[in-house]
Amino acid sequence: MKESRVQKQKLITQKIAFGIFAAISFSVLFLSVLVVGFILVHGIMKLSPEFLFSKPEEGMMKGGILPAIVGTLLLVIGSSLVAFPIGILSGIYMNEYASKNYIHSTIQMMTNNLAGIPSIVYGLFGLALFVNSFGFGMSLISGCLTLGILVLPLVIRTTEEALKSIDDSFRWTSYSLGATKFETVFGVILPMAFPSILTSLLLSIGRIAGETAPIIFTVAAYYLPEISFSLSAQVMALPYHLYVMSTSGIDLNASREIAFGTALVLMILVLLLNLGLRLVKKFFQKRNS
Amino acid sequence: MKKRFYTLWENLIRASGFCSTLLVLSISFYLFREAYGLFRNSGVESGYSIFVHQSNPIQEFEPDTLRKIFNKDVRRWSEIGGIDERIEIFSLSDLEKKFKEEALGPDLQFVPEKVWEYSENKPAIIGYFPSKLLDSRHKTVAVRQIEFSDLVFGDSWFPASSPIASFGAASILLGSLWVSFGAILFAMPMGLVVAIYLAEIANPRMREISLHFIELLAGIPSVVFGFFGLVLVVPLLKDIFNLDQGESALAGSIILGIISLPTIISITQDAFLTIPKDIKASSLSLGATELQTIFFVLIPYAKSAIFAAMILGIGRAFGETMAVLMVTGNAAIIPESFFQPVRTITATIASELGEAPNGGIHYEALFVLGTILFVFTFLLNLIANFFVGKKS
Amino acid sequence: MIPKFLFLVLLLCSSARGNLYAQAIKVKGSDTMLPMMQLVVEAYLKKATNVDINLTGGGSGTGITALLDGTVDLAMSSREAKLAEKMKFKEKGAEIKFVPIATDALSVIVHPSNPVAKLNKDQLEDIFTGKINNWKEIGGTDSKIIVYTRESSSGTYEFMKENILDKREFAKDAISTSATAQIVFAVSQNKGAIGYVGLAYVENIVKPVAISFDGKEYIPPTFNNAAKGIYPVTRPLFVFYNAANESKVKGFLDFLLSVNGQKLITHKGFIPVNWQ
Repeated sequence: MKESRVQKQKLITQKIAFGIFAAISFSVLFLSVLVVGFILVHGIMKLSPEFLFSKPEEGMMKGGILPAIVGTLLLVIGSSLVAFPIGILSGIYMNEYASKNYIHSTIQMMTNNLAGIPSIVYGLFGLALFVNSFGFGMSLISGCLTLGILVLPLVIRTTEEALKSIDDSFRWTSYSLGATKFETVFGVILPMAFPSILTSLLLSIGRIAGETAPIIFTVAAYYLPEISFSLSAQVMALPYHLYVMSTSGIDLNASREIAFGTALVLMILVLLLNLGLRLVKKFFQKRNS
Repeated sequence: MKKRFYTLWENLIRASGFCSTLLVLSISFYLFREAYGLFRNSGVESGYSIFVHQSNPIQEFEPDTLRKIFNKDVRRWSEIGGIDERIEIFSLSDLEKKFKEEALGPDLQFVPEKVWEYSENKPAIIGYFPSKLLDSRHKTVAVRQIEFSDLVFGDSWFPASSPIASFGAASILLGSLWVSFGAILFAMPMGLVVAIYLAEIANPRMREISLHFIELLAGIPSVVFGFFGLVLVVPLLKDIFNLDQGESALAGSIILGIISLPTIISITQDAFLTIPKDIKASSLSLGATELQTIFFVLIPYAKSAIFAAMILGIGRAFGETMAVLMVTGNAAIIPESFFQPVRTITATIASELGEAPNGGIHYEALFVLGTILFVFTFLLNLIANFFVGKKS
Repeated sequence: MIPKFLFLVLLLCSSARGNLYAQAIKVKGSDTMLPMMQLVVEAYLKKATNVDINLTGGGSGTGITALLDGTVDLAMSSREAKLAEKMKFKEKGAEIKFVPIATDALSVIVHPSNPVAKLNKDQLEDIFTGKINNWKEIGGTDSKIIVYTRESSSGTYEFMKENILDKREFAKDAISTSATAQIVFAVSQNKGAIGYVGLAYVENIVKPVAISFDGKEYIPPTFNNAAKGIYPVTRPLFVFYNAANESKVKGFLDFLLSVNGQKLITHKGFIPVNWQ
């Protein structure tokens, strides 16, 4: 008798506790909705073909943010070109070539630490090395190299995990058919890891497109009337544009509106990438099963 | 031929493998290299000298004393052990006001003479002039070089001040710590609850949907969070708490907390999901409720991972730049309450690096801050990695 | 193979556009001057073809530093060059030209509901250095004075420090903002706030304060008062450039100082410099 009453009490406590847990969890989820929704609501009015495809005019009060969009695109392409070749090769080395000894774990630790370095430190390093030491000045090449290094650990780690998850039997089969290690890795294993590499591409695009601190001192400009594709040119970029628009400008209302518009464009980019990630996962899950 | 090709590739691969190590080493090297020059300086503007009257017994100035003198916080020599006279500050612009351009000479060649003329009979004088414009008659006084303790314990950060710049970063270091810990205070309990809910209580469908929301939160750029904080959180805090100003450590902690949530949630959730099923099963079979199991069995089991999540969360918050720059008010004061503005290491570097002449003392000081930031986050990462690997 | 191909394409693109970029006039510096400069740049580029101009902010200090490092052609500055900076330029063997292109009145702003409408120089110095920290000490309500300031990279900051604060430092608990608009926004939201911005940035969401240097006459910061030189806190806005680089920047500079250029400057709320 007594036991069941105690049990009942425990269950009620549990129900309440779980209810609280659920409430808290929902409020956290609600947070993401809040942030996205707030930007959406205030920025949607600005979103128009004119905004997306024209250059800023009237001292940034009118016109659009095309140069910033193009700039971000260039940074994404350039940084990926820097990070992916080296990153994938590094991941291949770690998982396929290196013997699993203490050098291997040290390198892994280094990669993990690289991933945890604050973005402003990358900005400092980029400034010291590329802008000053190498003499590239504030330019697309400096920005891409800096952002490339920033996103490198992400690529290495994803490649490593992807390769790890491929069962060894594939490798043995390949060897038994007479393939060399090189042919096995690049002809069999790497293509199998393709979905993960695609995933890491999408993730790194999201990362690169959103970073501000590394580009303030290496490439970002406030206003570029002409869009130039030169490696030695400065670019405008979406996150920097958002930062500048939210803190400067003579007509506060107008610049706020543009800031919201820019924030929304960034947000939409993130949402699209997210969607892309989900689609990639689904598509390859179906294929593999 | 093919063999040569393969070996070439394999060497390339081997080289790539070491790239992350190489990078970490180069970053450390560059940071230290650009930073250490600060400690060979006293903070006095380069090319300038400080002089006092012949009768003044001072042999060397402490950088902080000099700062106080020029900021008129110390007004009489008696306050620092000298004569009871009001300190008279004398500079080139003062000289230019007293003497005509012709008297000083087109190349300023008569300045040493004029300076001597003016200061000869003024025992309470202290002057700062370009060193080239002084000669052996003037008693120039050395200023002690900046030491690491000045940087870490000093609380006056005036990096572009003339004639002496002060690099007391205590308020900035504490500001970063304050905001990061505040962020964890806010994010850790919430993150833990969400992770437990998703791992143990929610059904798989719920879990999947929630994961999407969390991934979304994780992907939002920090400048967007900063903007959100600037436009919504700061005014809201001001209204809710009836503060003097909304820019505060609290605003920073809230935004940073939101930013670190995804990290904390995913690590903790993974930890819970990898707890062997039989641990939970045996607890339940002994009659414990699920709640009791969670609190008394699962959480203790996963405590290393939870600790690691916390450490990584702190690291994430500590290194965040744009979000804090836009909402914390950037005032370099030692934080005493969450309602005051603070200045973080990251915001300081981001705001000031642009104006610091390449290789100059301000530049070096910012690199010192960057080095401190780098070392701190590196250590946090090491600690976290250690605890993620541990299973209790 | 694909990465290599893309790289070649980029290289080709860069060499095509690169020529244009190499000739681009790089302008950097004062945040105060950014919006008006942008307007002038837009207008100039409509007239002059085959020219490109890059504009970056960051504060007067960043522009001067960049000019010293040789990475920009024109530095925008809302203050005069410090002696130390002039000496550094001399050391590098660079002859720098300092060209005033507009005049600006520095306005001290408070919340529209603030009863305080005039302040003298000593009061201003004490407020901004933190000596006075309650509004009641200067005739306002019993509430804390929240000081908003710019970062040390700002020419506006340096100008305030030199001319109003008597070279003393700003209060440590003053809130540092990275750009003018932030100050305007913050002061408009905050009843106890006080800040300083260029006249052109004053909107009706904030209230400018009349200033007196002699304690007798208090002069409000209006366009006319500043243009006539009556308002005590006016400052010239400059563009610095290396004389050796004159041919590259001459066209743009001439346009800046021309009737049309100055009209645009006025359009943004700044006072034109006397042009011939």
